[in-house]
Amino acid sequence: MSVSYKPVIWNRTKMIYDGVLLAVIATYILIFLKAGPLLSPALRDVDLPTQRMRAFGSLALLMLTIVLAIGPLARIDTRFVPLLYNRRHFGVMTFIVAATHAYYVLGWYFSYSPTPQLTALFTSNTSFTSVAGFPFELFGVFALVILAILAVTSHDFWLSFLTPPLWKAIHMSVYFAYAAIILHVALGALLDRHDLALGLLLVGGLALLSTLHLIAGHREVGADAAASARAPEEPWIVVGDLSEIAEGRAIIGASPGGERIAVFRSKGGLSAVSNVCSHQNGPVGEGKVVLGFITCPWHGYQYRPEDGCSPPPFRERIRKYRVRLQGSAVLVDPEPLPLGTKLDPVPIPAELLPSASNKEGIA
Amino acid sequence: MQRRHRRAHTAIWTGLAVALPLLLAIIFASAPKLPADAPAIRLDGKAAGGGQP
Repeated sequence: MSVSYKPVIWNRTKMIYDGVLLAVIATYILIFLKAGPLLSPALRDVDLPTQRMRAFGSLALLMLTIVLAIGPLARIDTRFVPLLYNRRHFGVMTFIVAATHAYYVLGWYFSYSPTPQLTALFTSNTSFTSVAGFPFELFGVFALVILAILAVTSHDFWLSFLTPPLWKAIHMSVYFAYAAIILHVALGALLDRHDLALGLLLVGGLALLSTLHLIAGHREVGADAAASARAPEEPWIVVGDLSEIAEGRAIIGASPGGERIAVFRSKGGLSAVSNVCSHQNGPVGEGKVVLGFITCPWHGYQYRPEDGCSPPPFRERIRKYRVRLQGSAVLVDPEPLPLGTKLDPVPIPAELLPSASNKEGIA
Repeated sequence: MQRRHRRAHTAIWTGLAVALPLLLAIIFASAPKLPADAPAIRLDGKAAGGGQP
């Protein structure tokens, strides 16, 4: 998070992430060009420009598959959450690799075209009525345009300018880019040559992503359906028991038909906030209290427990909810308070403190 | 994630998980096949791997 917009807010973690990513990209390209012809019949007797196209094209497919797997993996297993931290750089690099593939294709197949390269690209194949002969290039162009838009708007400036819901909606178009790439590869490279490795990457990646996303989606729908029980008194809902909340952590409740609510316990008090981070809709309740601030696990955005506001000079805010204790049961009013409402944490009675502090780990 | 976003996400992936395998099956089923009496030596580059990337 930053007050002013900078192209990239570098820190050590991001540098390591990007360094590893670049090293892996370089290694893949080198292995593909040097060892590929020895390992795959599809790469034997092929000139270097064609090998380069295939190297960058297959790498773009692999990278996009990994980028799309990070989200559901992090939802299924929290050990993958660190991969989310710099996923945007991963996405931008995927676009650069895909654009390099397109650059080599244009340079190789359309260099000597009597018409401009882009004109030749769109007019050289017009078999729109054929399934197998359909101009697969168009799917590649479509995907590349989407990846370019996503790379350009990946910066927090655009997130703030467009507002998170619109930004999120635009960035969900990456799924359609992925579908276009699947068709681009199937109609182009796979129909043209029987490349077993590429076929496995395509079909295996699609099966893996579909499975991961559907499992993660099924879990989320289940969590939505299991709305927190209503307390005898309106409008309160029972989010859980105090003993389930470890110090500095939260339990998450679901309001009936509404959003999820995180109840944090910190320094002998309870505070309820929206579970949706104002940055990228990250699950705030799966984070922890760091130096007195509720900290989102995705990108480290922080909020004060008492009013849901980021500390000055930052301006992010999340909604607060009223919370109270009935015995050891944690009750929350599912009606959110106006943004910025100050509400001191509800003190935990001394007799409840020992039993609650025995519990360790994430509630 | 917001609930609406989660629902859209699940709907999109359900659609992709159904549509993409179907489309792949149609594509590969409609691929032109060589006739049984096709000559062993071909001039269209299939044997030499000189097609599109």
